[in-house]
Parts: sequence; structure tokens; C-alpha cells
Amino acid sequence: MAHALITALVLCSFAVPLRAAEEEARVLMLYGLDPYLPPMLAMDKAMRANLASETDRRITFFSEALDSQRFAMEGLEPETVALLAKKYSTLRIHVVVAVSRTALDFFERHGEQLWPGARVVFVGFLGYEFRPPALPPGASAVLSILDVAGTIDIARRLQPGADRIVVVSGVAEVDRRAEQQAREALAKLDERAPVEFLSGLPLPELEPRVAAEPPDSIVIYLAQFRDRDGRPYEPHDVLRTVVKASRAPVYGAVETLIGLGAVGGSVASYESRGRLIGEQVGRALAGGPPDPSRTVLAAPNRCVADARALQRWSLDAGRLPNGCEIRFKEVPIWRQYWWQIALTLAIVAGQAMLIGALLSQRRRRRLAEQAEQAQRAELARASRLTMAGELTGAIAHEINQPLGAILSNADAADLMLDSGMDRRDELRAILADIRRDDVRASEVIQRLRDLLGQQKLERKEFDLNEVVSELESIIRAEARRRGVGLEVRRAPGTLAIMGDRVQIQQVLLNLVLNAMDAVAEVPEARRTIAVSVAKGENGAVLAVRDRGRGIAPEHRTKLFESFFSTKPTGMGLGLSITRTIVEAHGGRIWVESGPGEDTVFQAELPLTMASGASSPHPA
Amino acid sequence: MSTAPLIHVVDDDSAMRTALLRLLDAAGFEARGYSSTGDFLVQPLPDRPGCLLLDLRLPGPSGLELQAALERQGIMLPIVFLTGHADVASSVRAMKAGAVDFLTKPVKRDTLLDAVQRALARDATQRAAREGADRLHVRFASLTPRQREVFDRIVAGKLNKQIADELGIAERTVKREREQVMAKLDANSAADLGRLAELLQRPTAR
Repeated sequence: MAHALITALVLCSFAVPLRAAEEEARVLMLYGLDPYLPPMLAMDKAMRANLASETDRRITFFSEALDSQRFAMEGLEPETVALLAKKYSTLRIHVVVAVSRTALDFFERHGEQLWPGARVVFVGFLGYEFRPPALPPGASAVLSILDVAGTIDIARRLQPGADRIVVVSGVAEVDRRAEQQAREALAKLDERAPVEFLSGLPLPELEPRVAAEPPDSIVIYLAQFRDRDGRPYEPHDVLRTVVKASRAPVYGAVETLIGLGAVGGSVASYESRGRLIGEQVGRALAGGPPDPSRTVLAAPNRCVADARALQRWSLDAGRLPNGCEIRFKEVPIWRQYWWQIALTLAIVAGQAMLIGALLSQRRRRRLAEQAEQAQRAELARASRLTMAGELTGAIAHEINQPLGAILSNADAADLMLDSGMDRRDELRAILADIRRDDVRASEVIQRLRDLLGQQKLERKEFDLNEVVSELESIIRAEARRRGVGLEVRRAPGTLAIMGDRVQIQQVLLNLVLNAMDAVAEVPEARRTIAVSVAKGENGAVLAVRDRGRGIAPEHRTKLFESFFSTKPTGMGLGLSITRTIVEAHGGRIWVESGPGEDTVFQAELPLTMASGASSPHPA
Repeated sequence: MSTAPLIHVVDDDSAMRTALLRLLDAAGFEARGYSSTGDFLVQPLPDRPGCLLLDLRLPGPSGLELQAALERQGIMLPIVFLTGHADVASSVRAMKAGAVDFLTKPVKRDTLLDAVQRALARDATQRAAREGADRLHVRFASLTPRQREVFDRIVAGKLNKQIADELGIAERTVKREREQVMAKLDANSAADLGRLAELLQRPTAR
């Protein structure tokens, strides 16, 4: 069973109760060992945190380190005392926390001189004190228990078949006390396996020695402050070396060893010790006689194991005693942060669904838009075919004119050859004319194919003036056929717009044919229309003016609607399609008219950047 | 006065016009081109046999309108219409107004030259008729007032005695005047005189 050791004590030879609550309380931490050892730091932190909750007095901490493990105290003591006497000559210390036996001994020797009236709280550090020291009057103690037996018990549970036990320890005073305690514990344990003590081996020797241990041995690491050659160590560094070298599991009975590679052990937590120390210091500060039942306190030991070490040596955690705390367990991340993960997943899933929904919606919308666009394009094309029907005469004229010229030229050439005269120059001129007229005819046909062919919508930059130029001959032919006067005005410079050239041609043709229809019945003098391209305020303006009978106000609003027509044979689609086209190009179309006035249809189309720069007439 | 025919070509399309003029030239015709009806009208029209090749659709007044204007002015130039696209209404109107032919471009050489020949033939006929009528008018103008009175009454189918009574002259005088009229008008019988009266558009017996 575990052996505990205890110490404690204190005295209050003449207790000096602190007078005023408002007076600053001064606590001196007197370390017998290196105050920066991990256990010290852990304990110090826990104590301070606890003390803050024990008292509302302002506490100032001082600390002195004797570090007796690494510096032999004997030669230094007079100087140390002289230094401390000077340091504290004008500073009253209320409580001295003596950490380790060395510190308590030092306090017993010099406390009265250095810190008169101070009460002492003894902290048996590293648990290596196995006999309760005689505590000065008024003192209290917090002890820890080096539970070698408990640790071996844990090792046995994990390795029931182990046939060797190796105990590693140093030769410093604390090392020896710990080793002594271990020997006593083992003696009581009825341990059948042979136990070997490796005491104070220098690291270069210890390392291969440990490495030579068979994997099923049990290695107990107590602490090694100093090797047999007097070389000081930081005990945790020694553990690291042992753990690294050893094929057999390594156990430790000190809390800070767990986590550095030791499998586990029966340890007293620094957290609980810090709490007890805080409680004692608080009581000492409060003054009054010590509570006899709470003079010596010991933090409980419990089983702590390192999951990573268990895994390294393939030990079954299920064999550990009930209630054993397994640290550094790699908690699956989803268990550790389950709600954050769940929330994240939910959000991600939600977003994914939203994105999916939006994508599918967008796709549906795009499909619908495509279908609508295709329908619109088809309708526009049908409308162009209708217009082409109306323009048959003009088109035939435009094609037959060059064809007629070609034929007559060819006939003339024929006759010239028959005549037998040398008319080479004339023949050459004829051939040139034939070529030119052929090109002219094919251009007309090409333009018609552009207008009527089944083609994809284009989005290109083009000059609105050119659209008018390209169709001018056909429009002229049609105007002549109908006996309508035609005036065409282009804008100076370039009016570059972006879109589908054919559709804009359609807009022009539609407006022109409408205008020609509008003047069909008016007296000859008024039977004229005017087509113009100009730069407007918001873009290029294509205007078609006629001097027909005008549009009744009640019709004007309905003009651009589908299936509305004032013509006896009209389908009522032309202007509706025209408006759709203009609006698809980001423009607008409107009409100004009244009965008896000129009617002007105007389509305004946004200019691209290029034309804004090149137009010589900025608006 | 030259008797070689002159063919007038009115077409606003210069390529077409040039080609037609070339063809006519190569076919041995003298031809002259005009770009519009106005252009044609402002040029002096030489008194030569000929015909008009007229585009139906022209800027400004159309071919049909020129046809009507010439008709009004009594210019009897036979017209061959040419068009890039013939529609029934126009062709009917043209033919009713006396066009020689109505051709659609592109027109074949033989068709065109044939139409031109027919137009020239018609022109020749018309000119001949017109010249005959002119000569008759000259002869008629050589009649004395008394002889014209006798002429009118002869073609009205009256007898010498009736004429003498109406004019208050001797029947013998009437007879002498009648011989004079027949000689001056180169007529052999009263029936001849009746035909001449029609040509001269003198009032005849109703």
C-alpha cells in the first residue's frame, strides 16, 4: 500500500496576527529546489489561483531559491543568510511557504532571524518526504505521497506477465529518499519478479542499459537529480531519455512525468496540492491558532495514464483500475468539437443545398431564357421572311438589274466578235463591267442570306451607318416601286453599337416598310419618307419619318403590342418584334405622331465606348 | 434629214444603260442613253425614226408616266418597256397605253432586238402614215376657198346641181371646180375624196 509521508508543521511561537485587513499580506516562497521545475510551476500556479479565491487581501509574493539539489548548501549558507538578512531587514514577511525539506530545514535554522513572526507552511515537495518532520509550532504542512506501490500495481495490471522490474533513480538526497521509499514498498508487495535498481547511472551508461531491457519488463522511473559522478540533471530530461531508449514500458509516480512519455502511475495532482497550500496560506494569514485537525494535509493519489504511451507500448487501457484518468486521449475530433462540427456541417449542408437550389434555379432560368430567346429569334426570323416577301419586287429588281447588264454586255461582246473588227478595248471594258455587276448581284444575295438565313444571334460591334448603307439599295428599289420618295441621312463618323447586325437591319426594314405603308394612300406630293441616323443624348438614334396620316393617340400606346395592327392585312407582330429587338440591345423605341402630322419612329441604341471616342460630334 | 433610226434608252442604272447601248451599237443601231425621264424630255428629240427603250421604274416620274406624257404631246415614239421585276398591273397598263412590248430583265438579245425591230417597224408605219397625211394637207391647202366649199359638199354626197344651188353658182362652174379638186388632191373618184376627207378630218356626211 502506498506509503505516505508527511510533514508539516508550524509554529507560532508568538503568533503575530495580522492586524489590519487592509494591510498588504506578504508571502515568501522559499524553494529548496529549482523553482522552475515543471512540478514547481504547476503547483505555484494552482496555489496562487486558489489563494486569490481564499482571501480578498492584496498579496505580494516573494521568492527565494536555495536550489540545494544542484548547489551544496553547506559552503553557501552563511552568505545566503547574510544576503537574505539584508534583503528582508525592512520587509516584514507574514507567511513563508517552505517548499521541500531543505527549505523547511533552512527555515528552522534561520527563520526567526530572517523573517521574525512569520508562520510557515511546509510543502513536502515531490513527495519524497516519507517521515513526518517535526514541524515548528504554528506550522502547517501539505504533503504528497510518492506512491510507488500504487504505481507498481498499475504496471502489474497492464503487464501481468512481466518478469523483471527495473527502478531508475539518482543519488541526490531526494533521489535516495525516493529510492528508499520504493524499496520499502516493494518489500511489502510480495513481488515475485526480480527487481533491479539502476541508481545514479550517468546518462551515456543509463541509455544503453535501459535499451537492453526486454520489452516485457516494467521500468519505474522515480527521479534522478544527480548521477553517481555528481552530475546534476533535470529529472524530466532523464525521463525523456529513458522513455526514448526503452523498449519496455516506463512508469512514473509524479504527475509531471505523465505526458512526457511515461505510461502512468499513481500520482498526486499538483492542482489538488496547490489548492491545499492555498488554503493553508490563507489560514496562516488570517492568524489565530492552527486547526489541529488540518495541520497536516495530503493530496490524494490517483491513477493517471497517458493514452499515447499506452498505445506506443501496445498496452490495454481496459486493464487500468476503475476511474483511472487517461490523459492525452486523442479524442476523435468530432467528439471533442461535436457541436461545432455539427453546426459547421449543418451550415455547409445548408449552403450546399442553397447553392444547389440556386444553381438549379439558374439553370432552369437559363434554359427558359434560352428557349425564349430561341423562340424570339425564330419569330424575328419569321418576321424577316414576311418582310422579304413584301420586298420581293425590290429584291428582284436589285438582282435583275446587274444580271440584265451582264447578259446584255455578254451579248454585245458576242456581236462585237462576230463583226470581225478589232474591238479589244471595248471587250475588255465589257468584261470589267461584267465582273463588277456579278459582284453586285452576289452582294445582294449575300445580304439576303444574312437577313433570311437561319443563324445564331451574334454580339459584335458594328456601325449603325453601315446598316443603313447596306440596305439602302433595296430600300430605294422598294421606294421606287411604290412611288415613294426616299431621303437617307447618315451620321458623320462612326456610331458603333454592340449587338446583332441582322436584327438591327430588321428593325430598319420594319420601320421603313411601315412608313411606306403609311404613305401609300396620301397624295403624291406627300408620299415621302426619311431615314436618318444621328447621335442622340443616350446613344445612336435611328429615325424613320413619314408624312402619312399619322397615328391616332389611342393607337399609339398599343402600337408595340403583339397582334395589334391598324393595317387590314397586318399580323401585328412587326413592331412588337422590333421593340423586343431594340430592348434586347439595351435601347428603347418610341413614336411621335399625331393625326395629320409627320410620324417619327425612333430607336435609340446605346453606343459602345469606341464610338464615343471617334464621333466627331459629341452630344 | 437622216433616215437611220435612233434608239433612245432610258435607264437610271448606268451599268444596265451602258450594256444596252453597247449591245445596240454592236447590233448596228445608233442609240442614245438617258438616266431619267427628265433627262430624256429636256433633250431635243431629233426628227428621226426610232424607238424608246424605257425602264419601268425610274427615279422621279416613272416610265409609265413618260409614256403618258409623250402620248399627250403627240410624240408617237414606239416604246419597249424594260423592267427588273414585272408586275401584272404595270404591264397591263403599259400595253394598254400602246407599248410595243414589256420585257423583263435580264432580257435575251434576240428578244430585245426583235422588240426593237418591231418598234422600229411600227415607227416606220406611223411615220409613213404621218407623211401621207402631211402631203394631203399641203395639197388641200392649195385649194381655193370655193374649191374647199365644193370639196366639202362632194364628200357630203351632194350632186353638182345641189352644190350649184347651195353656192349660187352655175352647175358648169361646179363641174370645173370639181375637176380641179380631184386633180389637186390626186383623187380618181368621189369615194377617194371621202377617204381623204376622213384623213383630213373634215366634217363628213353623217
